Amino acid sequence: MLQTIAFYLFATLVVASAVMVIMSRNPVHSVLWLILSFFNAAGLMVLVGAEFIAMLLVIVYVGAVAVLFLFVVMMLDIDFASMRAGFVRNAPLGIAIALVLLAELVLGIGAYRAGALILGTPDGTAAPLLFESNIESIGALLYSRYLFLFESAGIILLVAMIGAIVLTHRERPAAHRRAHQDIGKQVRRNPKEATFNASPEIGKGIDL
Amino acid sequence: MVDLSQYLPILIFLGIALALSCLFVFLPMGVSRLTGSHNPTAEKLSEYECGFPAFEDPRSQFDVNFYLIAILFIIFDLEAAFLFPWAVSLDLTGWPGWITMMIFLFELIVGFAYAWKKGALEWE
Amino acid sequence: MIGIEHFIVVSAILFVLGVLGIFLNRKNIIVILMAIELILLAVNINLVAFSAFLGDLTGQIFAMFVLTVAAGEAAIGLAILVIYFRSRGTIAVQDANRMKG
Repeated sequence: MLQTIAFYLFATLVVASAVMVIMSRNPVHSVLWLILSFFNAAGLMVLVGAEFIAMLLVIVYVGAVAVLFLFVVMMLDIDFASMRAGFVRNAPLGIAIALVLLAELVLGIGAYRAGALILGTPDGTAAPLLFESNIESIGALLYSRYLFLFESAGIILLVAMIGAIVLTHRERPAAHRRAHQDIGKQVRRNPKEATFNASPEIGKGIDL
Repeated sequence: MVDLSQYLPILIFLGIALALSCLFVFLPMGVSRLTGSHNPTAEKLSEYECGFPAFEDPRSQFDVNFYLIAILFIIFDLEAAFLFPWAVSLDLTGWPGWITMMIFLFELIVGFAYAWKKGALEWE
Repeated sequence: MIGIEHFIVVSAILFVLGVLGIFLNRKNIIVILMAIELILLAVNINLVAFSAFLGDLTGQIFAMFVLTVAAGEAAIGLAILVIYFRSRGTIAVQDANRMKG
């Protein structure tokens, strides 16, 4: 009973905040609604026992991607009013297509329940190994069976990192760069090498 | 089946927080609406006598350095998230799991070295 | 009682909202990226719900990979956005015509 209430709470909030993401006039508000949407989706995932994915959703999305979106939204100085100009003109077509798509998806679920198709059932090889926690089972499966997929996820992260640096990093011109600081050189310096005494004759300078 | 009862305190806490925040937001609004007189005019809503209307949007542009550091944060955040299931299941996966994670970490160290070499982490 | 259908309906609504967001905000590329994130979130909910329904953890593992790809996509997409803004001074989608032949 409590689970049903929790499900409807999370589901309502996730859908409502997703509506606000695409309808709000200010992209900063959109990002904040997106954060709420991800939080509630994490709640939905906790309800079916996927605790680790829920944690990942909160950490990665709410912690990182949303902050990144906020940075970019605030970094780019954009005239937001003019960006919304085509909204009303596109709305009827967009809503019509969305309704058709939703009807197709829901009809698909109905057709599946009617029993017309028999989809595959799990063959048991990837079944949960019945450990204590969700995260332990995921780890046991991820680092044995899906090992190469995991490595390619690492490659994807590497490519994303290098790509972002290549795209956005620009070298400052040398004139604007601060002089390079060599800490070792500073520490090695001692009074004997740094100073010297000289007694120049009157009227003559010294060569440095 | 998942034991959801351990999440019950969090749910109760969530409900209490929601109720309290609604109370704090809507109670003052309702009280002020019910007790005060409410007839705004254009004169009253304009800026106070020695102030002047804002020239522009108060948001200003950041430097792009913030962006690069945020992007590197995302990548290493995900890397740390992949470390959690590895750490708790290391006794089940054994040496192959350990070697897999070391290769994964090496891939990210290559990226980190590249970022360092390019000077993406330097503050200007 | 909550079954798999409820989760699929929520996921379908989220997916459609993401598609609708792309249609409605054709000028604002940041909101388009957010709509793509919503679509990926719908996919993740679907994967996790079926994973719990079928008792097969593969769905959750693939949800992790979807998250990884989504984070990389957001990072690269926003990087492209930043350099595009830097060179053109605007991020309106209809101005992206430099590659037109």
